[in-house]
Amino acid sequence: MQLKRMMGIGVLVLVMALVLSACTGVAPQAAAPAGEQAAAGETTTITWAFWGSPEEAASHKMVADAFMAEHPEIQIEIWNQPWDDYFTKIQALWASGDTKVIPDVAFLWPTPRYAAEGVLENLDPYIEAAGYDLNDYWPGLLESAKYQGSVYGFPRDIEVNVIYYNKDMFDAAGVAYPSNDWTWDDFLAAAEKLTQKDANGMTTVYALAAEGGKWAKWVNQNGGAILDDYVNPSRCMLTDPASVAGIQFFADLMNNGYAMRDADLSQAGGDAAVFMSGQAAMILQNTSRVSAFNAAGMNYDVAPAPIPAGGKRWNGAGGAAWVMSSGSDNKDAAWTFLQWLQSNGGGETLYTERGEIFPALQSVANSPAFMTDQPPANKEAIITEAAASDVGGFGYFPEWDELSGSIIEPGLQTVWAGEADAASAAAAICAQADQFLADNGYPK
Amino acid sequence: MGFVLETPDTSPISQSLNHPISNLQSLDLQSLLLTMTPHAPSRRPFRWRPDQQWEGYLFILPSFAGFLVFIVLAVAMSLGISFSDWGLTGFKSFAGLRNYQQLLRDPLFWQASSNTVFYIVTIVPMQLALGLIMAVGLNQAIRGVTVYRLIYFMPVVTTIVAGAIVFRLLLATNGPVNNLLAATLGGLGIPLSAPNWLGSTQFSKWSVVILTLWKNTGFTMVVYLAALQGVPKELYDAAHTDGANAWQRFRHITLPLISPTTFFLFIFQMIGAFQLFTEPFVMTRGGPANSSLSVVQYIYLAAFRDIRMDKAAAMAWMLFIVIFAFTLFQNFMQKRWVYYESE
Repeated sequence: MQLKRMMGIGVLVLVMALVLSACTGVAPQAAAPAGEQAAAGETTTITWAFWGSPEEAASHKMVADAFMAEHPEIQIEIWNQPWDDYFTKIQALWASGDTKVIPDVAFLWPTPRYAAEGVLENLDPYIEAAGYDLNDYWPGLLESAKYQGSVYGFPRDIEVNVIYYNKDMFDAAGVAYPSNDWTWDDFLAAAEKLTQKDANGMTTVYALAAEGGKWAKWVNQNGGAILDDYVNPSRCMLTDPASVAGIQFFADLMNNGYAMRDADLSQAGGDAAVFMSGQAAMILQNTSRVSAFNAAGMNYDVAPAPIPAGGKRWNGAGGAAWVMSSGSDNKDAAWTFLQWLQSNGGGETLYTERGEIFPALQSVANSPAFMTDQPPANKEAIITEAAASDVGGFGYFPEWDELSGSIIEPGLQTVWAGEADAASAAAAICAQADQFLADNGYPK
Repeated sequence: MGFVLETPDTSPISQSLNHPISNLQSLDLQSLLLTMTPHAPSRRPFRWRPDQQWEGYLFILPSFAGFLVFIVLAVAMSLGISFSDWGLTGFKSFAGLRNYQQLLRDPLFWQASSNTVFYIVTIVPMQLALGLIMAVGLNQAIRGVTVYRLIYFMPVVTTIVAGAIVFRLLLATNGPVNNLLAATLGGLGIPLSAPNWLGSTQFSKWSVVILTLWKNTGFTMVVYLAALQGVPKELYDAAHTDGANAWQRFRHITLPLISPTTFFLFIFQMIGAFQLFTEPFVMTRGGPANSSLSVVQYIYLAAFRDIRMDKAAAMAWMLFIVIFAFTLFQNFMQKRWVYYESE
């Protein structure tokens, strides 16, 4: 009896010891790089965080290898998560405050939100000390990575939305290919011919498939705006007649059966799927689709988006950025890596050559890394749109995601669903948005 | 934060799946839920006796420590967070009731609340009724009854995401459901078009309801089956002798005798409907125009999209208070309609 009891306690103690050692098991692993550093004498290890599929991760891995070949004194350790888990997990790492596990360099969006939380390093001193050239970025692009006037991140790429068109479908409908300066009226005329409807008036082949989220292009082209100021807003501008007309233009494309409704598009698997299956003759999308269309051997090209008479060319300047954690324990090595990533001949060139991105740096876009003989032929169209990049697509203040995700986008979804017109939806959105801004103390 | 993080997974349905189904038959429903009734034996105050086997406490220590840290501490912290200005890196300042006041003025919170009420008043009664009908149907001596029970129960153990993908295809604007509807409506000459299940603000909630019913009704059925098999056969025989017809037997014998189960399922599913998350999250993402956003989904968005842990914690506590009040009320109301054989 006594022996049994002793054995029972012994087993219990053993189990507890195992559990405890399992709990602390994480720390030694994370601390290992520090040990290696001491052993090797001079190498520094930094952790590099990004989201992405295994294919994207392979590109990043290749970039890390290229960097380490040039900088043997710095070791890159990769921390990779799928998009769905990335943000909750990296938030948990930052919230832990443990410099051993906090990634030194991370891929992030939206930068101002995190900068406001104090988890990002202000890059201004590094930029000044290194003489790093910010003028090579597309206009307006760095705004998306600024907080209170300071740079907190370097956008890796820029989202350039262009019209992709299926040449075969244009030929079949007898429509001329889009020119580089076509207008909304030209676009409507082409859409009328490209759209095919059945006996009941239901569209079977659409002229355009564009995500609802692309609406800001039409609004800004038409001289409209979302907010009066994108850093320190005081009011919503969607009720402005130019904004309303921009929204209504997009809505009418859907209401007339020229463009797929947003919900139908996502049900059908997204714009790449409907473009490749011939359900839509055109899509409005960024350059991320190129590799898929090339792999599928499609007969397509790109064109700048059509602009309204008296309007202007506009592309929303934004892209996910590389940032440095304020909790990084190897800031100098992290900066060396950041600067190399965002340089012509460094990471930017490698990503561009692999067709992963349209580069954030103008010099890389105009280099052979982008100007290849692969389709699309009309690469000038992409450069043209990129050069027209500007603020206006989103706010650069911490509460923007909440304002956009809870009020603006849901409000516009009623328009894309055909349940409200642009004017009434804009009025409802602006009433709520103005209240939201006031509640959060804007303008500051 | 722990409290908020766990919310999506704490639906009673998913928890119950951890238990083998065979246990359901031996579930002592009364003691499970009604420890507050006067029938519960009065407990002697805890007193340390030297002859007690103290190792017992050692054995429960690992799970008790886990309970303390991951449940008690997390819940207490979330209460503290709800009264603070709390961001990604933690405490900034004490906020008093500000988070709660903001919520009461937040139109989206009210919209999410009204959506959740819609889910409760549709899902709970429909699930109970459908589950009972299926259970009564499968409580007969019909050929291959086990196969039918298996089929109806299968959705409960199916991955909800896979189910949602299939339902998204079924309910697509030009999907099979709408084609069938259009053909039927056209055949009957009714001038109505088939609904846009996922893309319109009027129908998005219904598509969530349909998915939830498909997923969870099998569970209700199994619990009801167990209850039906506990109804003494003699009562039916006696009633039959007295000339009661099938409906009268069902109405006056079956329903009262399974009312404790109905009560259990009612509370269980109401809490589940209050905490609905996965179904709208995978089916509609809360859209369009937030028309299918549930409260728990909004808690998730506040915490991880807007990085407003304080607001999320305040919402979680308001939800808890409402669920608690409803459950207490139901517990009080049960005297009116729940029949216990022992009384």
